[in-house]
Amino acid sequence: MNTERRNLAWRRISKNSGPFLIFGLVVLAFVGLPLYSSEAATQFNVYNALQSSAALGLLALAIGISMIAGEFDLSTVGVYALGGMLAVKFGVDSPVLGVLIALGAGMVVGLIQGGIIAKLGISSVPVTLGGYIALLGLTSVISSGDSIAFENLDAGLWLEQEMFTWFSPRSLIMLAVFAAVGGLLYWTRTGRDLRAVGGDRRASRAAGVRTDRILVGTFVATAMISALAGALLSYSIASANPDPGGAPLVFAVTAALLGGVTLAGGRGTALGVLAGVLALSLLQEIFVIVATPDYVSNLVLGGLLVIVIAFDAPHLRDRLTSVRARMKDRPESARVSARFK
Amino acid sequence: MNAPAGVETVAEPAAGVTGSPRASRVRRLLLIGLQGLVAAAAVLAVVAAATTQGFFSVGNLQAILSSVGFVGIVAVGMTVIMISGSFVSMSLGTQAAVSAIFFVWALKFGVAPAILMTLVLGLLTGALQGYVIGGFGANPIVLTIAAVAVLEGLVVVFSSGGTVTPPDGAYTFLNSTVAGLPVSFYVLIGVVVIGEFIMRRTNFGKRVYMVGDNREAAWSSGFRMGQIGAGVFGLAGVTAAIAGVLLGAYNQGASLLLTGSLTYDAIAATLVGGTLVAGGKGSVWKTLAGAIVIAAITDLLLLRGYSSGVQILVKGLLVIVVVIVVHLRSQGTR
Repeated sequence: MNTERRNLAWRRISKNSGPFLIFGLVVLAFVGLPLYSSEAATQFNVYNALQSSAALGLLALAIGISMIAGEFDLSTVGVYALGGMLAVKFGVDSPVLGVLIALGAGMVVGLIQGGIIAKLGISSVPVTLGGYIALLGLTSVISSGDSIAFENLDAGLWLEQEMFTWFSPRSLIMLAVFAAVGGLLYWTRTGRDLRAVGGDRRASRAAGVRTDRILVGTFVATAMISALAGALLSYSIASANPDPGGAPLVFAVTAALLGGVTLAGGRGTALGVLAGVLALSLLQEIFVIVATPDYVSNLVLGGLLVIVIAFDAPHLRDRLTSVRARMKDRPESARVSARFK
Repeated sequence: MNAPAGVETVAEPAAGVTGSPRASRVRRLLLIGLQGLVAAAAVLAVVAAATTQGFFSVGNLQAILSSVGFVGIVAVGMTVIMISGSFVSMSLGTQAAVSAIFFVWALKFGVAPAILMTLVLGLLTGALQGYVIGGFGANPIVLTIAAVAVLEGLVVVFSSGGTVTPPDGAYTFLNSTVAGLPVSFYVLIGVVVIGEFIMRRTNFGKRVYMVGDNREAAWSSGFRMGQIGAGVFGLAGVTAAIAGVLLGAYNQGASLLLTGSLTYDAIAATLVGGTLVAGGKGSVWKTLAGAIVIAAITDLLLLRGYSSGVQILVKGLLVIVVVIVVHLRSQGTR
């Protein structure tokens, strides 16, 4: 009995430690750079990695939340672009106002999309895909199709200033959002309900969870977090781009999956996503340090995503289990292989 | 491997349906309202078209049909994917650009071999993704997003990322105009006819509809999902390759920039054509209609002087409205 419990505990730890294991490996590779290259990582590289995770990390958190709820919000990059554009457009005199307008727009987008998805029971992918296209169009209308420069350079300089050698106000804001979402997911009933809705929607509805509210809340949260990420980034780089392209999405999805969020829904933590984000950012920083061309890091990132997604795929695991079961020749093998023959 | 009996025995859970009478009345009212909105928008569009100078001219109609070609061809592949229940491939636009680059590079072996090699490459890259998606149950959206990153990386490895230019002008017939319409439009019609034939008349096509209608039943009744997935995405890869050949010829060179918004435009055409997002319903013909509708609206907005941002915005909103209408109607008939 005792060994069984210990086995269970061990399995739980090994199941949830994946993200931190990966993070640990990347940190080792980062610290150990001089061992396999002529370069060494500096304090500034850590700062840099945290800066790049400040924008894309929030995007990963947003997509991660939608995945925990059993949905997939493709419009996050669209809101990210819109938030950046609105902040640059309206935040010249008061950067705070710009961020607030971006957040407000995010809330409206989230309410509309979440309302459609929750009330009508439509899959989130086509709705948020239409939303993504519409949002890119809207952003392009606001900016008349061009990148817009941000005149208020002080705001960017303030956000980018070094604090405690590794951090900046921007990356600290990112960490604060992660902490807030993490606390919400871990300690509150809302967090539990969110995982329940993602794990088994019908059962959670039958158990009295207000699934519609949770879903609308999810899409409001994802959109507002994405808008914040876009707004802060555009202040920092002092410009807003109407079309961020596909790279942010690849980073965000890879980080969320590396962070232990599953596409089936119901599983994942903010801390895990943070580990995934930091691992990827440090990995990219390593590529920067050893001066690998952009396409190599793209290849590695894409290849990593392929591996992660293949492991997340339900039937690959089933097939492996069925092969393993057949090798062990347990009685269950007959049942498993009968299903997949 | 014949179509197994008893597919209907596994009930498909109706996602998110509360089933209360009030909720269904709200749905019905919403459906009527949205259909009214679509009808009103259609009337408005027709009126706007009639009052827009030059919309109904032969030249403009030719312009609309000419602009449908590339998107329409890729959308046919996208439709097959959506009917199979794998929703979309986010990599078809990139595959088209990669095909264009490969085609232009391969032109040194002659036009016909280059076309053939490009089609085979498209088939293989598509089938590889489809096998993982169908056989392992990998999420199609995320896997194809990853495929974009990998394909782009590989292209830069092989072509160093620049623009590839053709060695001679032997390919230019692909870029000619017949009876006022470009070759790409006739190819599109051919692709639609062949696609419709494959989906309706062949064993493979019927199986794709069945898989899309009820994936779990298909699994449990022993369909070879890996092969079907490979077939579906391989077919889509071929359409992307065809579009790539024509794109390379049209632009007299190729780079990754050719991707543009091709993926999203093809998805929009498929969704506006009324293909059911959950799979199992839809047709290649309707997608062609969807592509033409989008092209006509875009053209109208262009003639009226609206920016490309407005055109994209309208496209996105149209997608959302049609998705809702198709969803509500499919629930009503079930």
